[in-house]
Amino acid sequence: MAGIECTPVRAGASSVPCGHAIGSEKWRGTELARLLQGKIKLVFEDGLGLVDFHLSNRTCILYISESDLVSGNAFRRRLVRFRKACNLNGIVIAEKTRLSDQYYPPVQNFVVLELGMALLPVTNQNEAAQLIFNLVQERSREGNSNPFMRKKCFQLPDASLLQTVQKIPGVGKVKALQLLQHFPSIHKLSNASVAQLETVVGRTIALSIHSFFTQ
Amino acid sequence: AGIRTLCILADSREISSGPEVISYLKMSLGVKVEVCSLGGCDYIVSSRLAVERKSQSEFANSANRSKLVDRIQHLQHLFDRVCLIIEKDRIKQGETSRTFQRTRYYDSTLSALISAGVQVLFSSSQEETAGLLKELGLLEQRKNTGIDVPTEVKGHKQEVMQFYLSIPNISYITALNLCQRFDSIRQMANSSVQVISARAHVSAQKAEELYRYVHYMFEAEMVA
Repeated sequence: MAGIECTPVRAGASSVPCGHAIGSEKWRGTELARLLQGKIKLVFEDGLGLVDFHLSNRTCILYISESDLVSGNAFRRRLVRFRKACNLNGIVIAEKTRLSDQYYPPVQNFVVLELGMALLPVTNQNEAAQLIFNLVQERSREGNSNPFMRKKCFQLPDASLLQTVQKIPGVGKVKALQLLQHFPSIHKLSNASVAQLETVVGRTIALSIHSFFTQ
Repeated sequence: AGIRTLCILADSREISSGPEVISYLKMSLGVKVEVCSLGGCDYIVSSRLAVERKSQSEFANSANRSKLVDRIQHLQHLFDRVCLIIEKDRIKQGETSRTFQRTRYYDSTLSALISAGVQVLFSSSQEETAGLLKELGLLEQRKNTGIDVPTEVKGHKQEVMQFYLSIPNISYITALNLCQRFDSIRQMANSSVQVISARAHVSAQKAEELYRYVHYMFEAEMVA
């Protein structure tokens, strides 16, 4: 499998405790590290490979600086190697400044559309610190507190069913109720013959309902 | 493959809020844009992907939080994939560009969206947004989820569309696929989960949800 150089994850680095992050040794002493240290518990480690920061919950950060963006495609190879080497959620943070602005759109196409990773722009390390702090907070929140998470709704469909049946031309609320009392599902109602429908509604409506379902 | 024209559905409200997006798509990028009433969704790019377009100022304003949450949650129920494009505000003539003040709210909202699996893209103009929509559409086409049914609905089919649209968590494109790919509602109602999934181009889970709705036994007491 991938050699040590290609392994972006140091063993155990993916299970970071809440409110903590593991930073690559190369970030020690930087503005970003200084700003983060006041807010979260940041531990430095050697040999994180391609990753700059490990957050909790299988998420890690790959950082692209302004000069990375401007100076060419080396960072692209790094991201591709990361994608191939592991299935961690990689969030790419890129310094989108006045200088690197013009390089952003193709990078976004590459990172988000081609690699399927998340890409978030910041203008400097100060903003990056604020963003990483929020990402750490988000990862350590209780499971149900994310308002954008897909939630299961356990609504009984009876009311919707009544609405759906009223979409049949010529059927209002009263007829919809009568129909559903005799043919209690869409499956049964759509398979009812004209003769069966006639026991509930008049012949004209029965014909029109039948043709609505079979046409 | 690849020769098929790309088709994107746009909500009728986008004509007033994003007129340049639609005209760039049509005129410069050669995309077929069908404007319809999508009911709570800006663009539909494939059988499973909805795109919501928000200006940066609108997105960054915490007063819009509940509106954004409702909208994204609604889309998460209807679509397997949801993408949000955050577009830089247009600078009106005579206005100097305001520097954007990044807030805690902005960052925590982005973090929550990413963690919920919403794809987030940044655009500097309506023109760039149009380009992103096209790229998204091409990508979906390569994955065989592109929109390839006739988007025009006429006569009897319009009533059938309204019927399908009244089913909970059925998106406009799913209703369209059901409408165009089944000969009749009866045929759809008699189909298995597998057939529904294949014809309507929806996940097995979505197909099963629809199957259960079709077979659900109504009880009048529940709506009394």
